[in-house]
Amino acid sequence: MKLAVFVNQYDEPAILDRLKADKFGIILVQNGVYHAAVKQNGEPSSILSRNAEFYALQEDLQSRGFSDGDVDSKVKVINFEGLVDLIFNDYEKFMWL
Amino acid sequence: MGKLTIGCFSSLVGSMTLDFAVKLAEAAVKKGHEVDLWLSSNGTMLGKKGQSKFRDYSYLAGTVEELLKTGKFRITNCEACAKARGIDKGDTMEGFGIHSMDWYLASAFDADKVIHIGGE
Repeated sequence: MKLAVFVNQYDEPAILDRLKADKFGIILVQNGVYHAAVKQNGEPSSILSRNAEFYALQEDLQSRGFSDGDVDSKVKVINFEGLVDLIFNDYEKFMWL
Repeated sequence: MGKLTIGCFSSLVGSMTLDFAVKLAEAAVKKGHEVDLWLSSNGTMLGKKGQSKFRDYSYLAGTVEELLKTGKFRITNCEACAKARGIDKGDTMEGFGIHSMDWYLASAFDADKVIHIGGE
């Protein structure tokens, strides 16, 4: 199964440890985009060490003062149109955490 | 083209998830998809007639009105949630549905993709 989860808070939901998928995506939205752009003690957010594809919503990055250049190289920045394409073309199921 | 059903169990003013849901719906409709949006709890206030557009306030009613004109967008309030907040059909903007949760379930079963957004 191709599963994508929405992470909308700047914490790491424990349920991520229990999710398995053939293709696993983590879509960072709202305050979840801090994972993409903020380092902790000089290190990227631990959520980015997971075996997943990462996406961050550009509008939510910009509204928090981040530019694409602030985003970790593992994370693909997408807009709402790109998110629609992800939903219809890349993943089968979605969870809002 | 496909059909996307979004369930949003959130609030109105100050809610990031309702804002997200409407913007996602707008982008999907622009790409030619159909969208059903189900609103629960305080999200039902989005359908209230006569909302005002203030600076620094999220104003989603205007976007909803434009989306309804496309014919590719349906938006429906949870009947019980609306009534609990004193919102009846007469208080609701034209084109906005009010149904029991059966509507959401039927829409979700009929959709190509479903995103269920929890409350805040």
